[in-house]
Amino acid sequence: MSNKFISHEKLRDWLEDLSARFEVWAPVNTGQDAKGVVVYRPFVRDGALEFARKPVESAKHTVFPRSETLVNFKTGAKDGKPALELHVPEDPPARAVFGLPSCDARGFQIFDPVYNGSGTQGLARDNYYLRRRNATVLIVKACSKVLNTCFCNWVGGGPACTEGADVLATELPDGFILAQVTARGEAALGSALLAPASDSQEKQARKLHEEAGAALCAPPDLSASVSALRGKFDDSAFWEAEASKCLSCGACTYLCPTCYCFNITDEARGVLGARIRSWDACMLPLFTMEASGHNPRTGKIQRLRNRIGHKFSYYPSLHNGRIACCGCGRCIKSCPSSVDIRRIVTDAIGITGTAGLKEQKNG
Amino acid sequence: MAIHEQLKKIILDTLPGVECVIGWGPGQDALHGSPVFMRKPEDVDSFMDTPLGAFGAVNNLALFLPELSGKKVGVVVKGCDSRSIVQLVAEKLIKREEVVIIGFPCEGAADLTKIEKALPEGREAGEVTGAAIVGETLKLSLGSEEISLGLADIKADKCTRCKTPGAVISDAFAGIAGKAPEVRDEYADLAALEAMSLDERFKFWEREMSRCIRCYACRNACPLCVCRDHCVAGSRSPHWITQTDSTRDKLMFQIIHATHLAGRCTGCGECQRACPAGIPVLLLKRTFNRGVAEIFGYDAGMDTEATPPLLTFQVEEAHIKEREWQ
Amino acid sequence: MADAYTLPAYDPGQRNPYLPYAATILEVITETYNIKSFRIRLDDEKAHREFAFEPGQVGQLSLFGVGESTFVINSSPTRKEYLQFSAMRAGEVTTALHGLQAGDKIGVRAPLGNHFPYKDMQGKDIIFIGGGIGMAPLRTLLLFMLDNRKDYGGITVLYGAKSPEDLSFMYDFKEWMARDDIKVVLTIDKEAPGWEHKVGLIPNVLTELDPGADNAVAVTCGPPIMIKFVLQALKKLGFNDEQIVTTLEKRMKCGIGICGRCNIGDKYVCIDGPVFTQAQLNKMANEM
Repeated sequence: MSNKFISHEKLRDWLEDLSARFEVWAPVNTGQDAKGVVVYRPFVRDGALEFARKPVESAKHTVFPRSETLVNFKTGAKDGKPALELHVPEDPPARAVFGLPSCDARGFQIFDPVYNGSGTQGLARDNYYLRRRNATVLIVKACSKVLNTCFCNWVGGGPACTEGADVLATELPDGFILAQVTARGEAALGSALLAPASDSQEKQARKLHEEAGAALCAPPDLSASVSALRGKFDDSAFWEAEASKCLSCGACTYLCPTCYCFNITDEARGVLGARIRSWDACMLPLFTMEASGHNPRTGKIQRLRNRIGHKFSYYPSLHNGRIACCGCGRCIKSCPSSVDIRRIVTDAIGITGTAGLKEQKNG
Repeated sequence: MAIHEQLKKIILDTLPGVECVIGWGPGQDALHGSPVFMRKPEDVDSFMDTPLGAFGAVNNLALFLPELSGKKVGVVVKGCDSRSIVQLVAEKLIKREEVVIIGFPCEGAADLTKIEKALPEGREAGEVTGAAIVGETLKLSLGSEEISLGLADIKADKCTRCKTPGAVISDAFAGIAGKAPEVRDEYADLAALEAMSLDERFKFWEREMSRCIRCYACRNACPLCVCRDHCVAGSRSPHWITQTDSTRDKLMFQIIHATHLAGRCTGCGECQRACPAGIPVLLLKRTFNRGVAEIFGYDAGMDTEATPPLLTFQVEEAHIKEREWQ
Repeated sequence: MADAYTLPAYDPGQRNPYLPYAATILEVITETYNIKSFRIRLDDEKAHREFAFEPGQVGQLSLFGVGESTFVINSSPTRKEYLQFSAMRAGEVTTALHGLQAGDKIGVRAPLGNHFPYKDMQGKDIIFIGGGIGMAPLRTLLLFMLDNRKDYGGITVLYGAKSPEDLSFMYDFKEWMARDDIKVVLTIDKEAPGWEHKVGLIPNVLTELDPGADNAVAVTCGPPIMIKFVLQALKKLGFNDEQIVTTLEKRMKCGIGICGRCNIGDKYVCIDGPVFTQAQLNKMANEM
């Protein structure tokens, strides 16, 4: 199938066309001026779509909502006896996410095996995640620039990586060229508004991909991270030095495309209520707090150690060496204390003067 | 000797008597600094060794003092940061004798949001590959492009209304403290908000808070927010804050936070700086600060011996004339 | 077009692991001033009949509107009339649980986690060492072994608590002490009026008891401080780490290895545990 093209002028028409079949999400500037904060929002025709600056948040919540109902319940009594009714919510609508960077799409591949029940040999699969995941088409926008905090190529990605994408969109001066990547992507490309892409457009897109790829520094070899972090586990001086400036807030985890932990709590009003699952973070104190008051991770040092360990050691040791980080760099970019996950991992491995980490002193 | 060199000397002199000295070192790129915990003399090399130097000394390092209480530590402070320490001491949350306070004449600190806003449309701070301060301008490179910004335009708002550029209290001071500037906080930022109708204002907060991801960076970056692991936001019983993704409850938390800081907040602005979603949460705290100043004539963080007005009560308050209420 | 990456499929017919069974409390037993046991039966008769578990597996009990909490199923898989759970009043869920009575509705997600390696224990002498509420997970294995008595060698049960008022499952112990095919030792920390059994800390009584380590397995559960000294005592008695089995408690939510909070390094207590041998624990990250 040949690639398609949609001009900037017709983009909103096409997204509107898609909206008939999908709940369409796209990056939007939600601020008061041209430099407002960019986040993902359901598409509306007059919304302030923005593709120039990278969204502050990842697209994680388009497939894995910040909070969702697992079970609705009704307690109370019926005919004078205690009663209980449980209902599972209906399937959510199909979604299409337009304009997410490749790192965000690859993030879901870290969720996939876990939510498909890898821990229980498939006995317990997470239906809620799987049904949304299967009902969502990801239209990735190739990155035309890289930020100081970008390191997708350290963990197997790239600015125009198609892994995890259903369609790859590349922004040209006059519009987007759209390349189908998976069979699922076809559903998004069946629109009369799309024109076939020309050879010169194809060429321009390839050139952009190459330029963005070349802007990234050569990646260091992280294959030793599993054993290095295991070896560093009890090195309290190492972790104290790395964690001193950490605030133990949840910014890194909640902005991360691969952090998948959650909490389950009940919200009730009288006899009606819902059991919900909502994002949780291993950086927060209550995450592991037991009813007895005992907390196996007493402070920010243990919590940061778990976060890094999970991504670069525990997860890969359970999932064929795949690192649970997609290199989007948001945890670094938005950390109030500039905690740099790249530094911690390279320090643990003992790689000094890492080429991929730009000389920080002089920028 | 340049101020940062003088500071380094003071830090080296301080190190033998303390667990560590907290200062600012390099961050992930030219624009970012980062807290650095100096434990050994060689750690001092990186102090302020960044393109922005003292102008990049953004973080309020007083934040780390309560968690280090019981140990003697040194801390380098801007004037505004020193007010947080004063407040912490006044509330007996840290011990004065456990902290060695190192001050310097602060000329203001950068606001990264303002820098990003000053870049051409579509460009962002993460694209800045180099920076240098030349006189009163910040010269930035974005790849091959060069951009110059006036320092006055990218200074944090709090710096423009700062009346304590030197430390309010210090044990050592690099250079000479300038005379406190004659500035009055006119709360112009609040005026714009208050010019809105109630309905507009509520919509404003709904729009802003809809971006909240509930990471609590605002809370954890606040030096006076000391409940830390025992915050009402995490309490299940009583269940103050819902776990559902509710904009109203997110705003509710901000109001609890601001209320809890009434008469304690020194306006350092770390809550707002820390917010990854760019929510102007400082406006709420400043609303309370203005009220506390008007009603109690109190400005937090100026006197270690003062009792914050909401931690005590007077039978007859000077500015609350209940008996005259109709 | 090649689809190199296979997205995991969504099968609407797949059992929903987050949907609890509705169940009814048949009986509430007051064990101590802060421990109660709950005997429950699934409301769906067919589901109850077909419900299968292994000794040591846990379940999430739901109080709708309050939340879920993890407890070991402490009845035996060989006795199918009801499922028994015991809860010490500590947090929000257990406090609400203590307010329930027979006839009340409850949710249950079970069975979760691994189980005691009871097959590997066949033909061996078994010593149970329980402290306080830590007797609950041992109870299920002990009942199971008593129902398959010929498969096991000598069985010794050492159970202790601070005072006589802190001992649970006394209705079982009365029965067990009357049997001649197991040895039962009860102990309390300090003398108490009318107490006819041992007085002394569990590790000391264990040392005095001196169960042979040869062809034996020790199964222990109790407060961390007790476990610490029991391990030292067992070592002195000649038990190696392969011969010591314990069961862990962690804050859990999903119970199926997804939500991410009960990990110790790359092991998840909810799926790789809660039962571990001491040899396995030695290899795990030091983050208990």
